[in-house]
Amino acid sequence: MKKILIANRGEIAVRVIRACRDMGLSSVAVYSECDRTALHVRYADQAVPVGPSPPRESYLRIDRLIDAAKKSGADAVHPGYGFLAENPAFASAVRDAGLTFIGPTPHAIETMGSKTAARLAATRAGVPVVPGTADPLGNEVPDDKIQALARTIGYPLLVKAVAGGGGKGMRTVADAAELSSAVRAARSEAGASFGDASVYLERRLTRPRHIEVQLLGDAHGTVTPFVERECSIQRRHQKVVEETPSLAVTPALREAITSAAAAVARSVGYTNAGTVEFLLDEDGRFYFLEMNTRLQVEHPITEMVTGVDLVQWQIRIARGEPLTLDPAALVRPRGHAIECRVYAEDPDNNFLPSPGRILALRPPAGPGVRDDSGVTAGLDVPIFYDPMISKLVAWAEDRPSAIARMRRALDEYLIAGIKTTVPFFRWLLEQPAFQSGTFHTTFLDEILEARNGRPFVEPAPEIEAIAVVAASVLAALPSVATGNGAVPEPAPSPLRPQWRVQARVEGLR
Amino acid sequence: MRYDVDVGGRVRQATLARAGDGFAISVDGRSYHVDAVRIDAYTLSLVVDSVSHQSYEITVAPGTGAGQLTVTVNGTPVTVGLNVHRSRSQKDDSDKSASGPQRLAASMPGKIVRVLVKTGDMVRARQPLVVVEAMKMENEMRAGRDGTVAEVHALEGHSVEAGALLLVIQ
Repeated sequence: MKKILIANRGEIAVRVIRACRDMGLSSVAVYSECDRTALHVRYADQAVPVGPSPPRESYLRIDRLIDAAKKSGADAVHPGYGFLAENPAFASAVRDAGLTFIGPTPHAIETMGSKTAARLAATRAGVPVVPGTADPLGNEVPDDKIQALARTIGYPLLVKAVAGGGGKGMRTVADAAELSSAVRAARSEAGASFGDASVYLERRLTRPRHIEVQLLGDAHGTVTPFVERECSIQRRHQKVVEETPSLAVTPALREAITSAAAAVARSVGYTNAGTVEFLLDEDGRFYFLEMNTRLQVEHPITEMVTGVDLVQWQIRIARGEPLTLDPAALVRPRGHAIECRVYAEDPDNNFLPSPGRILALRPPAGPGVRDDSGVTAGLDVPIFYDPMISKLVAWAEDRPSAIARMRRALDEYLIAGIKTTVPFFRWLLEQPAFQSGTFHTTFLDEILEARNGRPFVEPAPEIEAIAVVAASVLAALPSVATGNGAVPEPAPSPLRPQWRVQARVEGLR
Repeated sequence: MRYDVDVGGRVRQATLARAGDGFAISVDGRSYHVDAVRIDAYTLSLVVDSVSHQSYEITVAPGTGAGQLTVTVNGTPVTVGLNVHRSRSQKDDSDKSASGPQRLAASMPGKIVRVLVKTGDMVRARQPLVVVEAMKMENEMRAGRDGTVAEVHALEGHSVEAGALLLVIQ
């Protein structure tokens, strides 16, 4: 394996390119029309256009991606996450083209991609699943039958897309009256997002935690699980903060849940990186939720506490190398890591996407801080894709220090031109329930509801006064637009003569 | 120089004069001596003598409304109106105040997936009105307060630009 095509964009494409560089391998980026200037294109050794901006016409076009791989001389394909990462037809097409797919087999993807088939696999592996319907409920299944099934499961329940993921095509139903419209909405969203409108029903546990287990499997039958990740901080079923290890997991529970994860993976002959997700009930019992047959967004926190480069291992496993990691070390975390998913969203406007041009950006850095970003200043955040712009990770010796470090990193995060969720994270980190770790999967939605629209950004009087001072300084410059909302142009000459700036710099030496 | 600077609907009076290498600025009567350095087109560094040499990192970007700027001070965004304040009636379209019509505008470009109300419907605060899809997610636009739907401009299946008027609640 010499050259890897990354069938993705944004931060994850950059992440995989970095692994290629680390290993002395060449990388090939693909890009849609609006991504010509994107960071992953600039980082890669080669870059191939694959079509117009809508994903269906570019990043989801299997034919064009295979063509790009052949044309560029790549011998392997990394799918990243999202897009085609869990599409068995893509994995098969890559294999059929004589290329290596850096991921599990099409069979494993297919089995775990159907949430109902995955539940069956878990049951066979002796791992408990959340009570729910065994078979997919397609469009042809009538309302009265779904109502009857729902009665046997009990309320509250969840309607979930069989082909789902990431909270799409999922609805919470409190009672029978809400069921039909929830099924309709979930089917519509599932059909649009996954091309499969089938749903299934699952009992909704009250106040569970979302605990997941990363694992690697090689082509020689070895499956090794990693220390758990705690992903209970979710907004509308989408993870927003992840950490590892979990405060709720005792050594005995860790042993049990990582063993269960490995058993599920072994039962389908799983290879490469994957994640088994569980719900941990208040009584300490855990249930298989689903398996993600790909690299996970939140993989960096596992890397921070184990020192293992998961993407490099994905590549090594795809090359046929055996796993040589010490299994005992992988479940013994070194310190604590937290990730905040920074989105181009306006937290003060119901988290609506805030696409636009990033005018200035200085990401945080320094000890224990990792910013996996896909953007730079000067780039537009396009409307066509997921608006996550970076994953900010803080590592420290223990959880309180990791929280303090994350707070420092958020304060360092300088960005202008778009709104981001950074102010929201600053608020979240101050919440007593977050600091004590006593949360569950609906905790965030509940405390957000309780805020009742109170703004996350409430500038102190001093900060407002300084904003007025800054605005006045800007207004003193002839290039500042004052009436039409135009972008302030760079000053034709510096605010003060260049030599004085230089003198100041010199004076500091 | 004198400015009226609108911060959150409140007009602050500012005066500015050059003073040595920096600026002497007063805001509502309070004086600041400011050393200002431009870092790049959108970033300023201020060291404010009168606040014990406090250092502030400032970014400036166009705000959402006409004439507005988002001035971010040490990470906290503040929306300021730099234009001379004309009248108190120029309120934000998404104003959630208890009186006057609420004009619901698309806050991002996207596609109208569903329109959940029609003209004449009574709506409650926070009731979903329109579902807009952007960036693969369906987002509900909700009523800011109780009222009656006076106008519906959103059409299912149509694409809209940011700022497009979707409906009006009286």
